[in-house]
Amino acid sequence: MQIQAFCKLLSYLHEDSKSLLTKTILVMKLSAILLLVTSLHVAARSTAQKVTYSGKAVELPKVLSVIREQTGYVFFYDKKYMQDISPITVSLKDAPLELALRTILQGLPLDFEIQGNTIFINRKTPDIIIMDAPEEPKAALEDTIRGIVWDSTGIPLQGASVLIKGTKKGTRTDLKGGFVLKHSRQMAVVVISYTGYEDKEVAASGDAPLYIFLKRSQNPLDATVVQAYGSTSRRYNVGSISTVTAEIIEKQPVTNVLLAIQGQAPGLAVNATSGIPGSKVMVQVRGQNTIQNTTTLFRPYDQPLFIIDGVPFATQNNNINQLSSLVSGSSFNGGISQPGGISPFNGLNPADIESISILKDADATSIYGTQGSNGVILITTKKGKAGKDGKTDLNISVNTGFNSSARQVKLMNTQQYLQMRKDAFAADGITPNLIPYSSGYAPDLLVFDQNRNTDWRKVLLGKTSNNTDVHASLSGGSYQNSFLISGGYTRSDFNFPGDFSDERLTLHTATHHSSIDNRLSVDFGTDYSYDKNNGAGGGISKMLNPPNTPDLLDAAGNISWTYKGIDLTNYQFYNFLKQPVNVQVHNLNTSLHLNYKLLPGLSLSANLGYNRNTTAETRQNPASSQNPLYSSRTASFAGGTAQTLNVEPQIDYNNTIGKGVFSALLGASYKKNLSNSNSIEGVGYADDRFLGSLVGAASVYAYDNSSIYKYAAAFARLRYVYDRKYILSLTGRRDGSSNFGPGHQFGDFGSVGAGWIFSEEKGFASAQHFISFGKLSGSYGTSGSDGVGPYLFQPFWGPGGSYISPVQGIRPNFPTNLYNPDFSWALKRSLNLALDLGFFHDRLLLNATYYLDKEGNQLTGYPLPIQAGFATVAQNVDAMIQNAGWEFTLTTTNIKTKNITWTTNFNITFNRNKLLNFPNLESSSYNNSYVIGKPTSIIIGSRFKGLNPQTGLFEYYTKDGKATNSPMYGLAAQGGDYAPIGDREVKYMGGFTNNFTYKRISLYVFFQFSSQMAPNWLKSVYSSAPPGSFPANQPVQVLNYWKSPGDQTPIQRLTSSYYGSVASDAAGNFGSSSGAYSDDTYLRLKTLSVSYNFSDEALRKLHVHDARIYVNAQNLLTITNYKVGDPETFGDLSTFPLQRILAFGLSFNF
Amino acid sequence: MITFILNHKITKTGFLVLVVLASSCKKLIEIPANPPTAITEAQQFADSATAMTAISGIYSYTGFASSGFMYNNAYFTACTSLSSNDLVYTATYDPNMQQFYTNGVNDLNTLANTLWGNPYTGLYGVNAVLSNIAASNVFSAPFKTQITGEMKLVRAFYYFNTVNLFGDIPLVLSTDYKKTSVLPRTPVEGIYTQILSDLADAQKALPAAYPSDGRVRPNLYTVLSLLSKVQLYRKQWQAAYDAANSVIGSGLYTLEPDPNKVFLDGSNEAIWQIPATGSNNVTQEASSFIPYSSSIPTYLLSPELLNAFETGDLRRDAWVQDYLVNVNGTDEHFYGPYKYKNLNATTTPYTEDYMIFRVADLYLIRAEAAAHLGKTTEALDDLNLVRARAGLGASSAVTADEIIAAVLGERRIEFFCEWGNRWFDLKRTGTIDAVLSAEKPGWKPYLALYPVPRPQRQFNSLLTQNPGY
Repeated sequence: MQIQAFCKLLSYLHEDSKSLLTKTILVMKLSAILLLVTSLHVAARSTAQKVTYSGKAVELPKVLSVIREQTGYVFFYDKKYMQDISPITVSLKDAPLELALRTILQGLPLDFEIQGNTIFINRKTPDIIIMDAPEEPKAALEDTIRGIVWDSTGIPLQGASVLIKGTKKGTRTDLKGGFVLKHSRQMAVVVISYTGYEDKEVAASGDAPLYIFLKRSQNPLDATVVQAYGSTSRRYNVGSISTVTAEIIEKQPVTNVLLAIQGQAPGLAVNATSGIPGSKVMVQVRGQNTIQNTTTLFRPYDQPLFIIDGVPFATQNNNINQLSSLVSGSSFNGGISQPGGISPFNGLNPADIESISILKDADATSIYGTQGSNGVILITTKKGKAGKDGKTDLNISVNTGFNSSARQVKLMNTQQYLQMRKDAFAADGITPNLIPYSSGYAPDLLVFDQNRNTDWRKVLLGKTSNNTDVHASLSGGSYQNSFLISGGYTRSDFNFPGDFSDERLTLHTATHHSSIDNRLSVDFGTDYSYDKNNGAGGGISKMLNPPNTPDLLDAAGNISWTYKGIDLTNYQFYNFLKQPVNVQVHNLNTSLHLNYKLLPGLSLSANLGYNRNTTAETRQNPASSQNPLYSSRTASFAGGTAQTLNVEPQIDYNNTIGKGVFSALLGASYKKNLSNSNSIEGVGYADDRFLGSLVGAASVYAYDNSSIYKYAAAFARLRYVYDRKYILSLTGRRDGSSNFGPGHQFGDFGSVGAGWIFSEEKGFASAQHFISFGKLSGSYGTSGSDGVGPYLFQPFWGPGGSYISPVQGIRPNFPTNLYNPDFSWALKRSLNLALDLGFFHDRLLLNATYYLDKEGNQLTGYPLPIQAGFATVAQNVDAMIQNAGWEFTLTTTNIKTKNITWTTNFNITFNRNKLLNFPNLESSSYNNSYVIGKPTSIIIGSRFKGLNPQTGLFEYYTKDGKATNSPMYGLAAQGGDYAPIGDREVKYMGGFTNNFTYKRISLYVFFQFSSQMAPNWLKSVYSSAPPGSFPANQPVQVLNYWKSPGDQTPIQRLTSSYYGSVASDAAGNFGSSSGAYSDDTYLRLKTLSVSYNFSDEALRKLHVHDARIYVNAQNLLTITNYKVGDPETFGDLSTFPLQRILAFGLSFNF
Repeated sequence: MITFILNHKITKTGFLVLVVLASSCKKLIEIPANPPTAITEAQQFADSATAMTAISGIYSYTGFASSGFMYNNAYFTACTSLSSNDLVYTATYDPNMQQFYTNGVNDLNTLANTLWGNPYTGLYGVNAVLSNIAASNVFSAPFKTQITGEMKLVRAFYYFNTVNLFGDIPLVLSTDYKKTSVLPRTPVEGIYTQILSDLADAQKALPAAYPSDGRVRPNLYTVLSLLSKVQLYRKQWQAAYDAANSVIGSGLYTLEPDPNKVFLDGSNEAIWQIPATGSNNVTQEASSFIPYSSSIPTYLLSPELLNAFETGDLRRDAWVQDYLVNVNGTDEHFYGPYKYKNLNATTTPYTEDYMIFRVADLYLIRAEAAAHLGKTTEALDDLNLVRARAGLGASSAVTADEIIAAVLGERRIEFFCEWGNRWFDLKRTGTIDAVLSAEKPGWKPYLALYPVPRPQRQFNSLLTQNPGY
């Protein structure tokens, strides 16, 4: 009966569509009735019988025979059904028969039916019930191979390739996994392959259709790789895509998912800006492509495009906070981003993320056109999984952790500090005094207790703070309708005195529906998060207070403003701690993916998405936090909203053409991005208790800003994989952006990619034994950047702000920007060449990639001399920046036995950046910032000669090679003494992961490393007043200062003057000299994770399975030649230090 | 293979769809003509009413934004007064301001960069108004004449101040950044040529009457006041004398008898004064110089300046504030500038306006010019008029040189902490080296010009540095 039905199933697809609908309905009705009858029947008969059985790796027939003995029921099945079934492990005690059968057959492509005393074991059929079919003409049948392809859980696989072995004849499976190959009987072996599954060869014999079950491939080459608008596998991908999966992410005890991918993917640089919970993380793909005018402690970053579940993230990686605070950073302008501030990615729960793909080359990014030139990061959240036998699964994971500063700087104690100060005054022959504006002013020497010793760093940052993380997820459903709901709560304290924390609530849902005929599929997901960052107004730099600074709080806990007549305002930090800064962020991301399979191989789909990020901030400056002499109560309220609406209709076509598989994707994209921000300041409150509102403010000042960005594009990707050996991939995109003026809005981008899997060539495998896979691939193409704000191509005038009063009754307008109607896309050309090799049956996989990127027509905020009226203008600069590099990834399975596995993953990146050309650089605004042929991170400064052991002063080379204490600004060409003194390019970076499992214990050890030249701690020391000249503590290493002629030390002679003397000049010039930079190479034990899985047997009574306890540690150990401070934050002495995290956790499933 | 793809029916259809989509793209990426926070330049100058909002911006003394009237931060007064030893800087936290006090300004000084840059920010608006008014047909001829005259006066004023701070400076007369951003420095004489040309145009254009209430938007005498000062600086004594004569002779302006009322809104002495329209409607001089607490004021009158006041000078009481501060347990006196007294004008707005030109200046200009021209009696009359208002008796000066010296001495007292008068007077009379080497340790003649800020030279390699830096 079933065979006939199946034939019918295959044939009705080819009938005219008129009867299709009625038949589908009929099928559905029948199926419902049949299911109902069966289940009633089963329920009535099977409850009385109990089964008790335990066994490991037992053949299924043996288990069944045991049940027969215990229950007396007889089993009926076709022996060949058992051929594909691997041995099972089962443990049952007093289980009702039906439950026992379900447990045993769980995950197997088999079903059972109880009739009387007989249990029929059948192959699982898809959820479609098949009707009787009229006989086909016998002749046609005889010469036809037909079959149906499922995965091991019974889901039909559409689009699997079916090929007659040794020929070019083949087809693809249809919606329900079915295929028909006519006139093929004599060629009896078919090869079935499907991305992500192991190939299978089946011999056709007799009239029976082939029932083919494909096993998911365990080979990493077949792992799914999320790419632009779809997915592929490492085997057939010709672009450069690195993927970090949930498995890796969940081991990192970090709250920001961007930190979890640091060191995990070649070509990806990730930098934490601070250790404060919620702070921003900078990300860069394959080096700096653009010239910029910002110079900060951190390199100006090109931020990649971030897309979450198909929806461009509205804020991208820009700051979302406006008010300054401990997390600092304050520019919500939707454009050029500054380091520091609150990370918009803080609202994503790492536990909800399935994978992160980093798209690097033209083949991967051209399809994003103008937004892809800095690389693209695709974040995919977790989706619902059909429960085993419809079972609903609840996972709960709880962990708690402890944070402390990762790499402390040791500061001087009082005795050392006072000695330094006294020596500084003595060096200049100045007697310390108490005249507040004299250069000898030294209350720390004359008034403060000379024996008191406080480590202010410890007071501010010494606290061990806590992390708490709870995550629960519920998933289940069937293949047709599955769902996932998860919720998380995370709280991270700051190790700062007081009640400061970052708290986050996340809700993630994903639902999937497939219609009964498998034509329509709907995926809908939402992510909602609420994050609250409770911080303070600042004060971190006060850890450099003199160690003998008096108590800053009195006995009652109130702020002390004076000590024996000395004003303590400049030493005070508790005032900042009493100025609460509260940042609340709501993020909603929702995506809908619709897919309708119109014809075999042809589907229509649409991505619809909406992302909204809103920020609400308050900052209060109560009178109680201020010096009563000049207190002024103020409160600030700020809000920001960024929204993206995204609509992307697509047409997808897949077919087997000849010996190959052809696929085409055609689509269009429409994006609208709106952002608004406002901030309101209330001043002149009469009472601290009114600061939460504006009503009590005597005056209110408001500012706001809004921007709009629209974007439309059409794109296409064509791919042909011929004979599983040759791959050709073409992508193209036409793009329009509202950021450009008329005539400059549209641009075309495209790429060509090709691959050759040479290991598939005849004779390759027989020629040698150890190379199991080999692929050469390459791509070349273009992408662009439209990274400027809206409207800049027009001149605008606007009112400056609400605080500006009218002049004689007329509200004033001011010019707001310079304009240039002619700017347009920056254009990047990328070449990518890769060699993939698999050795020893792919147990060792090596990828070596070479890339060459050149970005020209640079779109930049071109810095201007202020004589032009404004400091910058949006302009294209005809400069070309090249990034060339090598990326290597090595994935090995070192040991794989029943009890022990050991896998290793290693990646390393070498990027070389240089400014290739820049016409008229000498006369441009960048004449003192860049040099042709040198990296964009070039440092131009004076050449440090060293400390003169006779004078104790720093010396620098003049352009003529003479020594001077005060070199002239400017390159030699401009008459100065400056020269290129190095660059801050990362020379190499990478990660090294080892994963061990022994029985139930697993150990994950991840090292991250990086090497570059970076500002050193001395730059931080000498960029403020020279040591000893100011009541400020210094790292203990500063004690090694020059004392008498002949001393060889890195620290200059002390001086009490911080300007105007030869010594202070020599010190002041240090920061822009080569002495302020050193090698910064580190190897950091970034993550260490140990976990233990409980055996299910032990947990069965608790109705728990898959339970695990674990310890995850972050930043545990650092091996570096970097002397003082953290190598990741470049020795900045007053930055919130990166955290060492130790988290203990428990995860279990019900 | 490619031919095959292109021939394929579905692919073809798909491309057709794409072409249709692409052609509708232009509509899809349309955005509103202007953001809600701004209007286009064309909209700004659509008619005289909207144009007036731009002109209002030129005179807007916002207090803390970098827009409007660009001397709205008191830096000009503070920096030049510290450089010229009128003020002492007591704060230790701002090395930039310290450098002005110790005459150690270097090319990285951010305040020097502000002093250089702010006038150019202001000039952009002025030049934009000038070019938009000139290019449009929608404005009436009288309106065009009036506004053009006003803008040229403002432009001359910006250049006059900047050229005296920095020497040679770029001469920017348009808004086209491609041209203006690469201009080298124009020699001082060239700047003065432009100033005189702008003033001549303004003199022709502006009537004797103020075009609006008060003395906010300039009239003819405002132009002549600046002209008189420019000619004084250029040692064109007759021209300076004539211009000052016209202003005083207009009869519009008289010295306020009470020194306490000189800087108030509606002062009879005012020739050009701008309402403080910034935060709390206070002048920036008041909020910079008056301490908010009973701590030591950040800016103190230097002992030399305090000593220069004659006994009985009413200005010593009216324009200098005596602060009694407890320092380490002892009460000490500190003396700070107090011409602008209003620190919180929220409740009584506009009591003080920001004074740009007042008639006392014109009396002293006329006195100095007259002395140079040999009209000693006239010179003494003018000088004594100013002294009389301060409660002082007639000057004992007799010869022209004595009178000139007395006038300059009087200027030091009358105009301390006002528009860099002291700094500029020392420079233009060539006495700066003699005076400041005595008062300031480490004084060197090149310090009379501030350095061209490094960022400016970085972004415009044609800018040269002043000698000595």
